[in-house]
Amino acid sequence: MFRFLNLTLAGISNGMIFAAVALALVLIWRATRIVNFAQGAMLMVTTFIAWDLSQNHGVNYWVCMIVAIVAGLIIGGVSERVLVRPVENGPPINAVIVTLGLFIFLQGLAGAIWGNAQAHSYPPGYSIIGYKVGSRTLLFSPNDLYIVLAVTVMLLALYLLFNRTPVGLRMRASAFNPEVSRLLGVHVGRLLTVGWALAAAVGAVAGLLAAGTQPGYVAPSGYFDALLVYGFTAAVIGGLDSSVGAVIGGLLLGVLLSWADAYIDNNVEGMYALIILIAVLMLRPNGLFARPAARRV
Amino acid sequence: MSSGLSVDNLVTTYGAVRALDGVSLQVQDGTITAVLGANGAGKTTLLRTINGLVRPVSGQIRYGDHDLLKTRVEDVVQAGIAHVPEGRGVITELTVEENLRLGALWRNDRATSDESLREMYAMFPPLAERRLQSADTLSGGERQMLVVARALMARPSLLLLDEPSLGLAPRITAQIMATLRRLREAQGLTVVLVEQNARSALSVADEAVVLNLGKVVAQGPAADLAADEKLRHAYLGF
Repeated sequence: MFRFLNLTLAGISNGMIFAAVALALVLIWRATRIVNFAQGAMLMVTTFIAWDLSQNHGVNYWVCMIVAIVAGLIIGGVSERVLVRPVENGPPINAVIVTLGLFIFLQGLAGAIWGNAQAHSYPPGYSIIGYKVGSRTLLFSPNDLYIVLAVTVMLLALYLLFNRTPVGLRMRASAFNPEVSRLLGVHVGRLLTVGWALAAAVGAVAGLLAAGTQPGYVAPSGYFDALLVYGFTAAVIGGLDSSVGAVIGGLLLGVLLSWADAYIDNNVEGMYALIILIAVLMLRPNGLFARPAARRV
Repeated sequence: MSSGLSVDNLVTTYGAVRALDGVSLQVQDGTITAVLGANGAGKTTLLRTINGLVRPVSGQIRYGDHDLLKTRVEDVVQAGIAHVPEGRGVITELTVEENLRLGALWRNDRATSDESLREMYAMFPPLAERRLQSADTLSGGERQMLVVARALMARPSLLLLDEPSLGLAPRITAQIMATLRRLREAQGLTVVLVEQNARSALSVADEAVVLNLGKVVAQGPAADLAADEKLRHAYLGF
């Protein structure tokens, strides 16, 4: 029983990170109907920037976090404006190819700047030694608590932004009905740029939180690719359209993977994610939280 | 300052189809003008060209001092022009109140927006009852009220309406038309009304323009057009 509780706690902490990545994907999907396959590479680059500052220049953890967020805003905004805008109204496959191209470009760029050979470690925000209950140690550390709180705060901030501010109303309106929004004076194009910037910033936070959980996380490929796969799985479980769905999808995936790793075998984690994804798609093809789509005749 | 809306020799094409083939019309400030014609006559294209969603091949559109062909769609509202799409233009994923607020957002002025909101709820009480509901839950008539109210939230001087009677009970259409007339009397609102239902449109309009295959085939005072039996039979279907 204690083990089960422990595995669940560990799963929740990982799940929150998946949720944040899923949320970044959902933000872009809702705004532009594009799956951003470069999301993993974007947050890899922002994490590398933070790692470089922290490792080579001794910059404070929180300053690194802010720099990563700002770098995310810039990378996301510029990507939309320069690369995605020209293909936004074309066939969806064009946008997919562009994001895949960006993914490969960013991976190559990071390799060229920081090297491919070595994986680096990023310091966690807080201690990774588990809390103690009596004589037993929980698989839940101050750093895990920090991850859960950080993602929760980010979710609340996004919720307030979307539901309580004029910019949020404009963003939702232009996602749901761009033409009507333009007629009402909403500059839809600008808001798409804002949406991508915001998504990449959310990704940047997720990247830093994730990087602190494992030694050797920071490398141009590897962990960050897996993070994108898990984030994508979580987003699809939640229905791609729903931010609540993304969070629940992330938590569900985190906990299920944690159980499967411990009770079955931890060498094939990626396969479990795939099985969960297929199971959800078979039972609920639109994800668990999507509005039922109108039947297209 | 020139006044009113003036459309001069407008040509809009979709591929090889000339949807508007040299349309000219003048709309005086403070009047209601009906644009009539059968399906495919070019009525909706005319509205979409005026508000900038479609760019013409040639011609001129001016409203007051604004050259609308040089104005972006997003900025047309700043020239005082608001567009009422058909009932489908309700953003169903937002609440009634969010739809309304959207109409006034371009001003970036919360106080004016609040004031307009109160006016709209007074003018359309069913919307007030449902203000926090998803717009998805509204009936067809309520949706039409919502798109009209949303356009009025912008406090426009010119209102472009696209088929406000489509799919609505005659009683509701009459209510909306009565509201438009009241706004014209009270605020000097100018209205361009695109309608398939010529009879109801002619009963509220001051002026009317009849389009057929992208060309103006008749224009003049609404009462004169309504009295012209040949025209009615040929183009207006009543």
